[in-house]
Amino acid sequence: MRGRVFGRVVAPLILLVAAAFFILPLFAMMRFALQNVQVIDLRWSNLFDKWSLAPLWSAFSDDQFGRALTLSLKLAIGTGLISLLLLVPTIVWVHLRLPRARSTVEFLTILPYVIPAIGMVAGIMVIKPHARWFLNSDLSLIPFYVVLALPFTFRSIDSGLKALDLRTLVEASRSLGYGWIRTIVHVIVPNLRTAILSCLFLTVAVVLGEYTIADVLLKRTFPAFMGEYRGSDPKGGYGLAILSLVVTTLIFMIIGLVSRPKSARRRRARGTT
Amino acid sequence: MTSLEFSSIRKCFGPTVALADFDLTIAPGEFISLLGPSGCGKTTALRIAAGFERADAGTVSLGGHDLSPIPAHKRNMGMVFQSYSLFPNLDVRKNVAFGLKTRRLESSVIARRVDEMLEIVQLSGLGDRFPHQLSGGQQQRVALARALAVRPEVLLLDEPLSALDARVRSTLRDEIKRIQRDTGVTTLFVTHDQDEALAMSDRVGVMSEGRLEQVGSPHEVYQSPASPFVARFVGSINEIPSEQGTILVRPEALTIHENVHHGKWIGTVVASTFQGPSTLIDVRLDALDRLVRVHTPTGTYDGVAGSRVSISMVGDHLLAV
Repeated sequence: MRGRVFGRVVAPLILLVAAAFFILPLFAMMRFALQNVQVIDLRWSNLFDKWSLAPLWSAFSDDQFGRALTLSLKLAIGTGLISLLLLVPTIVWVHLRLPRARSTVEFLTILPYVIPAIGMVAGIMVIKPHARWFLNSDLSLIPFYVVLALPFTFRSIDSGLKALDLRTLVEASRSLGYGWIRTIVHVIVPNLRTAILSCLFLTVAVVLGEYTIADVLLKRTFPAFMGEYRGSDPKGGYGLAILSLVVTTLIFMIIGLVSRPKSARRRRARGTT
Repeated sequence: MTSLEFSSIRKCFGPTVALADFDLTIAPGEFISLLGPSGCGKTTALRIAAGFERADAGTVSLGGHDLSPIPAHKRNMGMVFQSYSLFPNLDVRKNVAFGLKTRRLESSVIARRVDEMLEIVQLSGLGDRFPHQLSGGQQQRVALARALAVRPEVLLLDEPLSALDARVRSTLRDEIKRIQRDTGVTTLFVTHDQDEALAMSDRVGVMSEGRLEQVGSPHEVYQSPASPFVARFVGSINEIPSEQGTILVRPEALTIHENVHHGKWIGTVVASTFQGPSTLIDVRLDALDRLVRVHTPTGTYDGVAGSRVSISMVGDHLLAV
């Protein structure tokens, strides 16, 4: 009886409060950014009045917007590719040859999540005088972003590999004449498609959200542009922040859509054989 | 057809000795099984032949050539695994063609070879199915076709039937033997199932604790075991104390008499197990207070529990220990 009350009343209530906790500030931000009404005059009564995308169009037309977005996309692609090149062979190796080291590697990869990005910034400031030749390039952010994204990228590849009978697939491939590299390219990567997509999307989300390091290294990435733009045009700046949030949410929804059918297929397969 | 030879192979995993002075020569075209309990080293021997494990000492040679410096992917051995090893992203045809693609064959040759292999394993109509659309038995047949498609010098079978149900296992067992006979490929088969080993092999190697206890034809290892371990592991055995020590006797070397004065040992029937053409009868012997198992053709004696019977030997005992 008590369980039923919890299931029908308390649980939905908790969910509602939690949803409100997230949605209300976003909704307030959206009203501030896209409703052409003075903040002091915002009321429930004028909820549907004077909505406009003009602040966003104005941000899009800024000279720096295109450049910042392009740089962030380049960084996202570079970070994603380098993460994959580093992680896929490493995690395969750990799974096959050093399974006992897996928990240590997992712990190490979570450090960038535990230690704030400002910690890495302090390290960068120390090496900055000796590595200007490298840090001058906009793409010098890539290695730092690879580290920042590790908690997410490692887990997506690791869980993808856990779902495979990796040892048998690798040995089957090798017994059929494929060396290590060809085995990774022809056997492992095609069977990790969903995990790799997740890894890439998560990388994009990290790169589109990282502000601290870019700001310290004076790189005009999309988040750095958003921060600056907010100073001159708060409405447009918050409009961009909402847009960035929508894009990230869409990315996660795509991950969900891409990964669901395959797991469902596997469940069906297990049931029939 | 090529010979495969293990010479003085030693392999340890930490303090555990997996193989100790392991010597075995498999003649060209021969089907040999390694039979033994879990942890006896049989799979380690196969994995060393495949190149997935490195021996601590000794050599493996293929046709007289030392394989030690050759990596797994250049050994030209086909392998079928215990777990289903098909590539989940490829359909049946592409799985079978997988090993051929790296051998730079023309696509028409590959297509012909795939057709031929699917015909051999009797799966011609299922080329466009994906692994998850196949039963376990079908998946193992595709794995066999894939392993044979590359025309390997040696076929390695690592308990390929153990994940299958009894009926499929029996059918596939016959098919593997037929295919091996037709192709003539030298085959090393690893199993812990004595029925499989005895039914399929030209010779059986019985292993215990990293050592080969005996290598011989199925008849030899069953009828003339070289050690008590082989006698106990292959088939059922009765251990009966006698004036020569404890003699090891197969159930079919004993016969049962309803007249208690006809046999050598008197006892009481404890249980009988009907097995179709034969019945196994467990008898507790009075003098020895020990259970023995007698194998009788069904219909000769039903074995009612509690009946008083006598038992005598109709064949020789295998060993005295």
